[in-house]
Amino acid sequence: MIRQRLIGASHAFDHKVTLWITVGIGAALVVALLIIAILSVAGVVKDPFRKELWKRTLAWAVMAPLLIGPVLLGAAWTIAGITVLSLACYSEFARATGLFREKLVSAVVVLGILAVNFAALDHWYRLFVALFPLAMIAIASVSILPDSPKGYLQRVALGLLAFMLFGSSLAHISYMANDWNYRPMVLMLLLGVQLNDVLAFVSGKTLGRRKIVPNTSPNKTVAGHLGALVLTTPLVATIAHFIFRGTALDHLHLLILLGAIVSISGQLGDLMLSSIKRDLGIKDMGVLIPGHGGVLDRVNSILLAAPAVFHFLNYFLNLGLDQPIRIITGP
Amino acid sequence: MDDWKFDPAHDLGLPLNERFKSLRRESGLIGTMFHILWWSFIRCYLKVYHRLTVIGRENLPKEAPFILVANHASHLDVLALAAPCPTRLRDRLFPIAAGDTFFEKVPVAAFAALALNALPLWRKNCDPRDLEELRKRLVEEPCAYVLFPEGTRTRTGEMSIFKRGIGSLVASTLVPVVPCYLKGAFEAFPAHHKVPRPRKLTLTVGAPLRFPTVANDKDGWTEIAGKIEAEVRRLGGVAPRA
Repeated sequence: MIRQRLIGASHAFDHKVTLWITVGIGAALVVALLIIAILSVAGVVKDPFRKELWKRTLAWAVMAPLLIGPVLLGAAWTIAGITVLSLACYSEFARATGLFREKLVSAVVVLGILAVNFAALDHWYRLFVALFPLAMIAIASVSILPDSPKGYLQRVALGLLAFMLFGSSLAHISYMANDWNYRPMVLMLLLGVQLNDVLAFVSGKTLGRRKIVPNTSPNKTVAGHLGALVLTTPLVATIAHFIFRGTALDHLHLLILLGAIVSISGQLGDLMLSSIKRDLGIKDMGVLIPGHGGVLDRVNSILLAAPAVFHFLNYFLNLGLDQPIRIITGP
Repeated sequence: MDDWKFDPAHDLGLPLNERFKSLRRESGLIGTMFHILWWSFIRCYLKVYHRLTVIGRENLPKEAPFILVANHASHLDVLALAAPCPTRLRDRLFPIAAGDTFFEKVPVAAFAALALNALPLWRKNCDPRDLEELRKRLVEEPCAYVLFPEGTRTRTGEMSIFKRGIGSLVASTLVPVVPCYLKGAFEAFPAHHKVPRPRKLTLTVGAPLRFPTVANDKDGWTEIAGKIEAEVRRLGGVAPRA
């Protein structure tokens, strides 16, 4: 049973929502590529916009399988994927803030990321929650060692925030993988926040005029955010209804609340990263993804949504409690 | 309340292969790990295979900035000079390597950056701004360099003239230049050999030289290069250049 959950790729499409989402994303990508190809051949879109469009869409065509693939393959793959993603995000954050020069703090954050994902893999909830205060103790302590109080507060705060966002927060997706039925839930979260981004962009471009936080992000409009909220909420609520049919969560008001949580926490995560970048005075966090910037520029909206959605679901459903706990460290 | 001072990585926004080549490259956790592993291995290798002896170890500075210079006979030279330096300086000790040899192909550049922590200097069409950048970084960071002012490995075993580029890094500053002489490298691993032979290496470290009053111009640079060359020759017991 444990083995089947961890690496049982043959169960990938046990739940039909998993199949729908996967097929839906695949179809959307193929359609998008076809439309761009037709527009390019017909000469409707011209360079450099044409090149930019190709670059962005092709980047999605590479990213989507990288995000969805591990989720389909099994819980162990999902957790491994999240760990790599967390480390990549931390690397970008550390280089952009200068925290990477504090080698001890950096090492603690990296160990923390590995430990919290190990706790998720082990299905050890006590360690999973304990690591947050433990990381605080470790970061506050090792920051004393260089004996240079100048900048102490800054390196402790940056280290803690980094662990909070890229360790603790993202690892909630890893922890979700302890539920036998984790695939549709994780895919719903990933699809929800990414689609939310796209919908905010599209509705902002078509309707938006009034800026929401012009000092933080001059391109974001009130209409964009409301549009995303109005479109994402029912979409997520509908998917959630098919995933959680017959459970305590399957009530209209709770499903709508879940949809709103995905949309709002997703948008706040996006604005949070905009604020961070504005404060640092940089445009992109990295250069890894052509047309999108860094990894962090792409996954920013998952950072706050992951714990928000996890705890909402866990309150009603007791995620993973049908599965054995402490599968590695247990007796 | 004052704003926090954020200092993003100086090579931020460069793709990986450009980062390897960047004179502003700064290493993170992975780089540090590679440097420490590589240089620990090299210390053992030099001790066991070449029985490296260091004379005048007390002349090696304990803090940056400084520049180690020596005669250049083989690829072992940079290893023998950098290995005896303290481990905690590992991230800030940069061998200056020929760009055309070590930074043209990406895998070689990755090795030069991740293991050696080398920075490139292009021998053909060298941009004067590169030397300016190296001079600035030396003092601002502060960091340390290992470099060979002859510019290339000797093909005959004879030392050749020191180029004046070294002068442009330190003229009118208090940055110490530590002259060294490495004996046995030409016999161990001359340029036409593919693998090093187990010959003994002896490194003599001289007293640091400083040039705070020498003008930062071409004449000053030539004067500095000449003085350093004379000191390296003296350390190695090589006759002064006529």
